[in-house]
Amino acid sequence: MRRIIYQIEHVTRWGYVGHVSVSHMLMRLAPRNDGRQLLLNHNLELEPGPSALSAHSDYFGNTAHFAAIDRSHSEMVIRSSSRVAVGPAFVPDASETPPWETVRSQCRVDRTGQALEANEFSHSSPLAPVDRQFAELSAQSFLPDRPILDAVMHLTARIAAEFKFDPQATQVSTPVSEVLRLRRGVCQDFAHLQIACLRSLGLPARYISGYIETDPPPGQMKLRGADASHAWVSFYCPGIGWIDVDPTNNCFPSMRHITIGWGRDYADVSPVRGVLVGGSGQDLSVSVDVVAMGSVED
Amino acid sequence: MTKVTDSESPAAGDGLFRSLSPHIRAFDEMTGEDGRIRDHWSHLVKAFTKHGAMEIKARSDNADRILREHGVTYNVYGEAGSIDRPWGVDVAPFLLPASEWERIEAALIQRSRLLNRIMEDLYGGGQRLLRNGFLPPELVYSNPGFLRPCRGIPVPRQVYLHLLACDMVRSASGQWSVLSDRAQAPSGAGYALENRSVLSRVLPDEIRESSVRRLPEFFRRQREMLSALAPEGCQDPNVIVLTPGPRNETYFEHAYLARSLGFTLAEGADLTVRNQRVYLKTVEGLQAVDVILRRLDDAFCDPLELRSDSFLGVAGLVEATRAGTVTLANALGSALVESAAFLPFLEPISRLLLDQELLLPCVPTWWCGRARDLRHVLSQLDSMVVKPAFRTHRSGPWFGGRLSKVELSDLKERIEASPRDFIAQEMVGLSVAPAWIGQAFEPRGVVLRGMVASGGDDSFAVLPGGLTRVAPTACASVVSSQEGGGSKDTWIVRESTQSGSDTSHITPALRTSGRTIPGVPSRAADNLFWLGRYAERLEQQLRMIRCVIGRLSDETGTGTSVAMQSLGLLLNRMESVPFDPARPFDPEICQEAVLKLLHDPGVPGGTRDLLALIRTNASAVRDRFSGDTWRILGRLQWTPDMATGRLPLAEAQTAVQSLVLYLAAFSGMEMENMTRGHGWRFLDLGRRVERAIHMLHMLRSAVELDPHDSLRVLEPLLEMADSILTYRRRYFSDLRLGPVLELLLLDPANPRSVAFQLAQLEDHSRELPGVNITRESGVNLPHLVALRESLASFPRAELARAASVDDQASLLQQLAQLSSEAGGFSDWLATRYFSHSLPRVG
Repeated sequence: MRRIIYQIEHVTRWGYVGHVSVSHMLMRLAPRNDGRQLLLNHNLELEPGPSALSAHSDYFGNTAHFAAIDRSHSEMVIRSSSRVAVGPAFVPDASETPPWETVRSQCRVDRTGQALEANEFSHSSPLAPVDRQFAELSAQSFLPDRPILDAVMHLTARIAAEFKFDPQATQVSTPVSEVLRLRRGVCQDFAHLQIACLRSLGLPARYISGYIETDPPPGQMKLRGADASHAWVSFYCPGIGWIDVDPTNNCFPSMRHITIGWGRDYADVSPVRGVLVGGSGQDLSVSVDVVAMGSVED
Repeated sequence: MTKVTDSESPAAGDGLFRSLSPHIRAFDEMTGEDGRIRDHWSHLVKAFTKHGAMEIKARSDNADRILREHGVTYNVYGEAGSIDRPWGVDVAPFLLPASEWERIEAALIQRSRLLNRIMEDLYGGGQRLLRNGFLPPELVYSNPGFLRPCRGIPVPRQVYLHLLACDMVRSASGQWSVLSDRAQAPSGAGYALENRSVLSRVLPDEIRESSVRRLPEFFRRQREMLSALAPEGCQDPNVIVLTPGPRNETYFEHAYLARSLGFTLAEGADLTVRNQRVYLKTVEGLQAVDVILRRLDDAFCDPLELRSDSFLGVAGLVEATRAGTVTLANALGSALVESAAFLPFLEPISRLLLDQELLLPCVPTWWCGRARDLRHVLSQLDSMVVKPAFRTHRSGPWFGGRLSKVELSDLKERIEASPRDFIAQEMVGLSVAPAWIGQAFEPRGVVLRGMVASGGDDSFAVLPGGLTRVAPTACASVVSSQEGGGSKDTWIVRESTQSGSDTSHITPALRTSGRTIPGVPSRAADNLFWLGRYAERLEQQLRMIRCVIGRLSDETGTGTSVAMQSLGLLLNRMESVPFDPARPFDPEICQEAVLKLLHDPGVPGGTRDLLALIRTNASAVRDRFSGDTWRILGRLQWTPDMATGRLPLAEAQTAVQSLVLYLAAFSGMEMENMTRGHGWRFLDLGRRVERAIHMLHMLRSAVELDPHDSLRVLEPLLEMADSILTYRRRYFSDLRLGPVLELLLLDPANPRSVAFQLAQLEDHSRELPGVNITRESGVNLPHLVALRESLASFPRAELARAASVDDQASLLQQLAQLSSEAGGFSDWLATRYFSHSLPRVG
């Protein structure tokens, strides 16, 4: 299998108004190992240096770093450097996948291994709730007996086509019902929207936080959602496992998508969460560089 | 609903004990079906009958008075303004025979074991309950009480539920069953202890003669268990009680338990996590914490990993538990097993996990998330009680039988929209026990809250009796402290009277371990400091008001009018009472202004405002005051009988007089009864700083006046400073500005002088944590040095002889500088010892 090696530099920088005396950070910045992806190296640097830095595997199996800084600071920088080997995703033929109703009923009754794990992603979560309006939006794609992959691809294409990419339209806190009303948003909004749609039909879907390589190879369209981290969706297909789809770019994430981790929604995997003591306002800037370093065969 | 019998009109012939209306089918706790008093009640019934209604009423009133004096409250959410609602305890206890209690005890222990095993399976283990179909996955996965960050966190000795409370009811058939569980931070034990302390004073003979099982043993065991639950290798654990703070409904209990158990009471802001360890921020620096008995709900405990909008928690607490450096009792995430939706599943789970049948059944409960349960509930909605399936949803309950057709169909719609969020229970009639209603005992429904503590290795302690709550009416089917209703002491009565008489039903807990006294949290020091400042400020204000009222009352000739004019100018300068210097003195305007300061709650810095500030600060450190001191603090409030009536000045005088006396009693308690630790030190520092600042302010205002006015205000000035006798004894002379300044500013022997306050501040400073004082350098804290030097620069001897002041401008400048240094010292204390700013989430 051919894999591309990526070097990813993810820098998060805060400037505070006044001095922050203590800050505690919870970070999910280290890409996880996954079937098609291998983490070769990860390095996390904080400025000022933390008094404590520890890593643990969170509920969903993502790597989480906890850091505490307890000296006065007015600026903080988090540098996360990752080297990852990424291979192609396996996408089955749509006709090989079961009808979506079968997936729904299987996930309800099957309490074994992966199906039980998938069950967890079929319920409301704070940012991707189950609601009738999302079920209604999906109805047009989820026709009776349609193979699940077929139906999901149809929904993905509709979200990509009918919703405008507009970084001005929404914020992190914009609820997904508002995204539905505005028909605008960014990758995170589209991912939440599609997850809400799938869950509202009783189908398990999870939120993927990651990166995307955006330098357009000659002759191809430039991918959207380039500036920072990216987000997409994964849905469960019994017998096959989880299949990723990217509603922002209407594609199957593959050689150019790098997964950091997953959860029920953004809140489970937000890259950086912090609690500060002192200071008042804050100014955040994030930069992400994803550079292909070559490829390997294994 | 039946109408409550009006207590004002006792029906003739009903006697002392009214019987249950024949329409109500309920188990009568006191009277058997044959109409005879049950054995375990007979002694008490005889005693009450012998006392008669008058005597019982007197004892009931006495119980109310004791509770009021103890300041026992249960705060009710949603009531604006004053949130303290007095707790009520019935003069009639709730009685259970020891043999019956033993069965309940066993059932409570079994339930604690069972729910703990469920926690272990869902948070620590392989979730066998989900895999094997004993619990529907969505009951866990879509349960807001399931805290994902807490899965897999090590729990010392596998004790997830150190404390469990179960609300139990007895049906008409006489069978007890469990209505609900409280698993995350259950309240009740402290109220039960307080109820007992009241009843042991109100019914001392009855409690002894009935050989009632005592409560303190439970708290002693609980203390041992908490120590045993400390992380491994921890020798002499530091245990604290974590409270959401004085605004919480059961804050009284948090403070009471902390005091009874001998643990430090802390709020989230008092704690900090450093290097994966929890520390208490004390005035002496950071002090490691090993065990946290928390009264804070799960989700609020850590803004970093749990609810980010919580200002009550501690950032990094989850990480500290993950690192195993601190034990939380109960473990984070325990709200999961108090979901009412678990009730229908407990019987088979008990067979699986314990290989036992439930000793105490649950009240029949249906979870609407199951299709057949939903059908059943909807078909019988009008005979059901509908409740939220998960405790985090604070709504309901809805009584099907009390709803109109429209309301029923609304409820149906709500349930159908998200069935898994609702459960329904059969309407349970409560058993009834006699409750004192005005002039007789009437049957009232009761709910018994049992409390069981667990310390690992299968060790359990059950509070003997628990907390009984009383329904407001005879046929009510729900009891909630949030909705009102009273409480009862619960007596487990020994059937054989082999035990001797044992009068000491309440023994305050002793801190037996040899560890150093726990530190004073910075926040507590802050509250104590401001309590001292506000108490002093109030005293000064009351003296001022008394001084003015006194002069207004015996207003006679015109000469006094001139004096009043000058006094008015002084008060105006002091910014205590507005007064127009351009207009002649008007006693009516002055009276109005002074009374407004005393009575109007809207005047910032007015008497009522200060009383409220005193209360707020005192409440936040309630665990630090003895019962007696707290009773005095409880009296420090504006009461309606102080309101202005027909004789406003005389009434105001009385009000001021009584407040001044309570203030004096408080400072007396403080001086005589408080341990000379840092807590007391900061309280007194506050008082001294305030007194110095106020004195300087008064002196500056007087010196600023023109010389004639200055001279005329000297008498009221001395009166307000409580130094008039000293002056007369010392100077035998007319009032002159120089000597007055000498007495109030420089005299080290006058406890009201600035010099005296400085000496006290220096004394305290020697003991302040982290202050190094050598014999050579003396106290060299910022501001104190400047204060001392500045005071020393006054020509004391000359001043004492001077009739007036030569250089008014330079004197004013010196006084201003002294003021600014005193204020600076207060700020310095705050930055140095009280910094405990709230975190914010980014």
